[in-house]
Amino acid sequence: MTSDATTFGRMTDGGLLEAAAAQNRAAFAEIVTRHYQPVYRLVWRMTGGKADCEDITQEAFLRLWQNPAQVREAAALKGWLMRVASNAVIDRSRKPRHGDLDAEPELKDPLARPDAPLDRAEAAQMIDARIAALPERQRLALSLVYFEGLTNIEAASAMESTVEAVESLLARARRSLKESLSPQWRELLGGLMETGR
Amino acid sequence: MENGKGASPDKMLASYGADRSRWARAGYVAEGQGSPEAEAEALHIDKLLDLASRPTVPEGALARMLAELPAAQPATVIAFPPRKTGRTPFFRYAALPLAASLALGIYLGAQGDLDLALPTAITGAVALGDDPADDLGGVGELDAYAEDNVT
Repeated sequence: MTSDATTFGRMTDGGLLEAAAAQNRAAFAEIVTRHYQPVYRLVWRMTGGKADCEDITQEAFLRLWQNPAQVREAAALKGWLMRVASNAVIDRSRKPRHGDLDAEPELKDPLARPDAPLDRAEAAQMIDARIAALPERQRLALSLVYFEGLTNIEAASAMESTVEAVESLLARARRSLKESLSPQWRELLGGLMETGR
Repeated sequence: MENGKGASPDKMLASYGADRSRWARAGYVAEGQGSPEAEAEALHIDKLLDLASRPTVPEGALARMLAELPAAQPATVIAFPPRKTGRTPFFRYAALPLAASLALGIYLGAQGDLDLALPTAITGAVALGDDPADDLGGVGELDAYAEDNVT
């Protein structure tokens, strides 16, 4: 298994996909190791940190395991996983839920307690909450490009859109964040400077 | 870098923020400065975004993921025989008898005499010899009737 891990660790995504198509679990495990974190982070960002992000991330990888041939371009595997995961988030968000605890957003806006000064964690919560409140396409563009470091071309491919559209979504997302956070700008950035960042 | 041509710094600041490394990753040449306001605003938004949480994968998530695999077998592919391209339209089935009928019709018509092909009931006395030559299909009877009833 260790030698498998070493062998597969050196392989490209294309080679791993081929091996996974032949139902090689070690190759698939390497794909999971390589891409689980960014996909999980994207799902977390898209769901606003809801409890089912692990399930959604698993769903994306299981779809790959069930049919690796769906990925036409091995070099775009990460983008493919991102697309499947973000579509799963969007699908789930559109399904009506009754009495499901997951429907309750976990991100709390610290502004609910305006009398208390913001610490680093609360500031992070506030930003997370505002990002979670963005329209889903803006949130997705921001998550892919800003937080996951995809190029604009990769992000456009993952979003099945154009580079121009992604740039427009990014600009709108940033503008919306600025507008929603402008009353707290000074406090947020002031706190940041006090903590030495 | 071809998509960097003609991109205005203010537009880049609005989309990608003040960090020029993001511009480069997006394939733009980091040249020139935006307006001071746009630069300052982009920098502020970057700093706010830097404050956002960096979620970490829950412990054991990868192991749980891999444990799910045996339950989710790769899809069984059932090989169906390839479907014929284009279904034969119904009219094609009727085309052969129709063509044969047409050919027969043309052939018989060219012979000039259909008697051999038609039933005796049509070609026999009923059709050809039944009416005397002077009887024009009852026209005579009509005349007689008319004369009798003229008052």
